[in-house]
Amino acid sequence: MLQARKNRLWKLIVILFLSAGGIALILFSLNSKLDLFYTPSEMLQAELKSGYRIKLGGMVKNGSIKRDGTIIKFQVTDFVKEVPVTFDGIPPDLFKEDSGIVALGYFINGMFEAEEIFAKHDENYMPPELYMEEDKV
Amino acid sequence: MIGEISHFLSLSAVVLLSLVLIFNLFFSLNKFHPNQLILSMRLFNQACWLVFISFGMYVYLAISDDFSIAYIASHSNSQLPIFYKVTSIWSAHEGSMFLWIVFLTAWSILFINSLDKDHPLKKLTLLMLSLVILGFLLFLLLTSNPFERILPFGVIEGADINPVLQDPALAIHPPMLYLGYVGFVISFSFITAYLLNGDFELLWEKDIKNWSFVAWIFLTIGIALGSWWAYYELGWGGYWFWDPVENVALMPWLAATAFMHSLFASSKSNVLKTWTMFLGILIFALSLFGAFIVRSGIIDSVHSFANDPKRGLYLLGFSGLITLLALSIFAYRLPALNSSKLVVTGSKESFLSMNNILMVTSIFSIFLGVTYPLIIESISGEKVSIGPPYYNTIFSPLILIAAVFIMISVDALWQRSMSLRALFVTVTAPTLLSLLSMYLIWRATAVFSILAYIGIFSGLLILFSYLFRTINNVFNKKYINKGSAVAHVGLGLLFFAVSMNSILSYEKNLNLAPGQSISVNESVQEFSFDDIRVLKASNHDVISAEISLMHDDREIFLNPQKRQYATRGQITSESAIHASVLKDTYLTIGDKLENGSWTFSLKINYFIKWIWFSAALMVLGMLLTIFKKKVL
Repeated sequence: MLQARKNRLWKLIVILFLSAGGIALILFSLNSKLDLFYTPSEMLQAELKSGYRIKLGGMVKNGSIKRDGTIIKFQVTDFVKEVPVTFDGIPPDLFKEDSGIVALGYFINGMFEAEEIFAKHDENYMPPELYMEEDKV
Repeated sequence: MIGEISHFLSLSAVVLLSLVLIFNLFFSLNKFHPNQLILSMRLFNQACWLVFISFGMYVYLAISDDFSIAYIASHSNSQLPIFYKVTSIWSAHEGSMFLWIVFLTAWSILFINSLDKDHPLKKLTLLMLSLVILGFLLFLLLTSNPFERILPFGVIEGADINPVLQDPALAIHPPMLYLGYVGFVISFSFITAYLLNGDFELLWEKDIKNWSFVAWIFLTIGIALGSWWAYYELGWGGYWFWDPVENVALMPWLAATAFMHSLFASSKSNVLKTWTMFLGILIFALSLFGAFIVRSGIIDSVHSFANDPKRGLYLLGFSGLITLLALSIFAYRLPALNSSKLVVTGSKESFLSMNNILMVTSIFSIFLGVTYPLIIESISGEKVSIGPPYYNTIFSPLILIAAVFIMISVDALWQRSMSLRALFVTVTAPTLLSLLSMYLIWRATAVFSILAYIGIFSGLLILFSYLFRTINNVFNKKYINKGSAVAHVGLGLLFFAVSMNSILSYEKNLNLAPGQSISVNESVQEFSFDDIRVLKASNHDVISAEISLMHDDREIFLNPQKRQYATRGQITSESAIHASVLKDTYLTIGDKLENGSWTFSLKINYFIKWIWFSAALMVLGMLLTIFKKKVL
């Protein structure tokens, strides 16, 4: 084999090796940093480890919001099952009963402890998964 | 009537642009005629003017409250100030697409007319530009027609613009961002034309250099304004959320930044030529990818527009087509492209290559972060999302490597290597000073987070390197590239500010009744809820709280508000912000509880203003580079 070709081959191998390593690192990082998205029914079915951060999407159940100081308790529903949620802080402006939200947090002993609550900037927002659920009902 | 004329003008532009393409394709099969270019140019210019006039009329329709146009009826309102009537045009999908096309057209007509009459690439560039504009005009008219009428009768009153969008920063954020995105159509078309033309003796860098720099400035300002708006308007107190839509704006920005760096290497010392061309094509391709993500509704995000699979399909098809076209031409010409392979280790171009590697790694990581949830969902049906922890982990090592190379490269020269002794001298002082400062910061704050300290160290490294370089400049009269220095100091400051912000900032949720006063912590000794009042404004009611704070022995008065807008009944919070050099006192009012007390969220955000200041420095650095004589 020509020397030049040999060099090129080596370079190629090194580049491939490095990018494989890089991609492996990225994928590793991805896997431990994923937030899985659940609807209330899915979350109650799934066997979750309590240290696992997840996203819960659904509608705030009518008449379920209770406040205690800065702590808010409410039920998130997908019109099939419900999950109780607590949140300490100020929810977004569009957080109200019968509106769609996504909560990020941990599911501990039957209670979802939200760290963050998102409501879309649109008053007609519903998490897309719920459109499908609603159609089924 | 005006609506129909405006619609008709846009349609005419489609016809003219199609004529340009058909006509040139026909003649390229036959003999070249000298008047061919003149005619094409006339047609093209007229098409562009038709688009401008059509948009002008559309603006007039919005100002004059023509609610028989469906889009205006659902996004504007007769009570709005004229300024917001105009900006309501780009508050949703159809109108913002129209604006995008207007900017695309504006960049194209300016660029093509700035080229010499007998510039060898003029004809091919013209064709590429026509193709892109035509594709987007068809997209607008076929899938998202802003001219659609409500028949047979229009509505009397419009549905109003979303109140959170009634804000000066947000009114100019989309135009700036779009000007940035579509500005790279120039590098895209020109490079494709250059590759098609096949005369590789021609120098192409100079013709598009300043155009790309200006587009970069718009893109930077657009992203920074968006983040600033999110900070003070949304009441979350954050400035960047790694939301998919923010990510798709960041990718073209990173590609553009890489492109500018390698453009210097390419024109100064003839290396990285092929690669630079690839980047020039990539920026626009990423902008198109961004448009697809935002406008197809494929990813659920706070920014995404209404979902319509037809739009997504068209955009994906068209973006894919022209990207594929450009890349095929690129691949076809690749063997013939000559780029000097001689990169001296330690020379300026070697560091510019390093920059490119880092930038492309960043783009790839973000791309993976954006698309991974889609891939997972289509394979396993599981819904996942990727948040800040992923990006923080990926970016902190990249930032550190970038900082180290920026530090080493401040003294690098074109095509010459660096002596180890010189390297040692440059590196020692900034490294030691950064380590020392980091130790002091740790002692002062008593907080430790490995990711944040990597960021702080990287930022300081860059800042100290340029500090020494400036001292050298003043006392030893050594040359310093001002534009580059200012922009990189901006970058260093950005790393530093973001990291300091992440370790120092905190949030307290409070619950007080009017007249009550509490002590929050050592820093906020007193927090008094003095009064709460209901006021009336033109199109909304205001609930305004009066709060006085003793924050670090300074008395501060804040008026956080809640507004209820008449037409939509929507409620928005207006956070009250008191800014000092080091920190912002950021207060949002929550809800009234049954016992008459109110909830508040108090956020102390450190170094947050510095983030936008550093973006301003980067823009300033770029301006200095543009206005410097003889850049390339």
